[in-house]
Amino acid sequence: MDYFLDRREDAVIVAVHGRVDEASWESFGAGLSEAIQQAQQSGLGDVIIDLQKLDYMSSRGLRVLTVAKRQGQEASVTISLASPNEVMREILAISRYDKLFTITETIEIRR
Amino acid sequence: MLVRFWGTRGSLPVAPTAMAIRHKIANALVAADGRRFENSADAERFVDRELSFAAGSHYGGATSCVELEAGNGSYFICDMGSGLRSFGLDSMRRNAAGHKKTYNFFLSHLHWDHIMGFPFFAPSFDPEATIRIHAAHPDAEQALRRQQEEISFPVPFDWLRANIEFEQLTPGKSHEVDGVRIETKLQQHSHDSYGYRFTDADGRAVIYSTDSEHKLDKMDVEAAFIEFFRNADLVVFDTMYSLAESVSMKEDWGHSSNMVAVDLCHEAGAKKLALFHHEPTYEDEDIQRMHEESIRYEELTREGSPLEVICSYDGLEVRV
Ligand SMILES: [Zn+2]
Ligand SMILES: [Zn+2]
Repeated sequence: MDYFLDRREDAVIVAVHGRVDEASWESFGAGLSEAIQQAQQSGLGDVIIDLQKLDYMSSRGLRVLTVAKRQGQEASVTISLASPNEVMREILAISRYDKLFTITETIEIRR
Repeated sequence: MLVRFWGTRGSLPVAPTAMAIRHKIANALVAADGRRFENSADAERFVDRELSFAAGSHYGGATSCVELEAGNGSYFICDMGSGLRSFGLDSMRRNAAGHKKTYNFFLSHLHWDHIMGFPFFAPSFDPEATIRIHAAHPDAEQALRRQQEEISFPVPFDWLRANIEFEQLTPGKSHEVDGVRIETKLQQHSHDSYGYRFTDADGRAVIYSTDSEHKLDKMDVEAAFIEFFRNADLVVFDTMYSLAESVSMKEDWGHSSNMVAVDLCHEAGAKKLALFHHEPTYEDEDIQRMHEESIRYEELTREGSPLEVICSYDGLEVRV
């Protein structure tokens, strides 16, 4: 698993590559905390997690997302998910995380 | 080892309504599409082959009670939910055929749905029966006596005729009971709960881990569960909620999800997972969908050898 942060004008984008599982959930969590901090420091209200290059995420990764969502709420930062592949779409449905997070087709925010 | 499920429902016993049975029969007749059956065995073959489990059967509504046929001839039973009543009657038939009248119980915890069957456990009136209740909770005896106090039940605990003993288990320590090795693990649940690992003389291992929450902010303690489940032949696991429910509205309600079950079993190299402690508001179709989704999630995330995901129902027998 690797992640890359990109601070745009309207949001901080976290691109996740590879797989988030028992071996990588801790560093994924650290990456999300970093993104939330960056957004807060830049006065941005959005962190978008770009899932395009993510193979899949196990329950560990999903639970890290919930932890990040709570951190985000304290920092007035909204976390959303963008461009999941087919496998990740299924996992989001099976876990019912599609009810907890906004999931968009692309990383562009449409307001 | 043979594992027999007498009660698989969580929290509260449930039963299908008249409407639910009518619905199943009507749908089965439509599916049969005018076919003729020679006899009921022929019709049952149709049910088995052509109807889904939810359409042609029922997961059952009795609360937690799981029997293990293991060891040197005494009974091994996990929990005393409402499923215990049927087990008690069945065991008396077996006793009449010569089975040893020694019952070894292992209690996950003392919540009502896990002890409510004991006042209806007929062998407790048999003066020749020995009932050994193993629990890591020091207040197990108090819980069982209390539910038979006059305000709750007409027959007090002291009227029971069997020889009843309480055995205190120590988590982390290995106990030997009638040829079976038992290990106990503390779990996250209101007033605590304990998981059990049963290993027979052939080295077959069955895990009973119900009413156990795997919390968001305590994922680092899961390594100990993976060790506890290591290479188990069967893991019976509390899969009451979806992952999203378990981390949102139902956080701290003390239960877990199918996805955490699959992840922990994968990491432990377990061979078979039995989904257990079904949500009482779920219809058969809901439980079946949860089972199908669990199988799919296992496929999507599998890296090593496959984990077989089965869904427990009242009456299921699994040989390991
Ligand atoms: Zn329970
Ligand atoms: Zn409980």
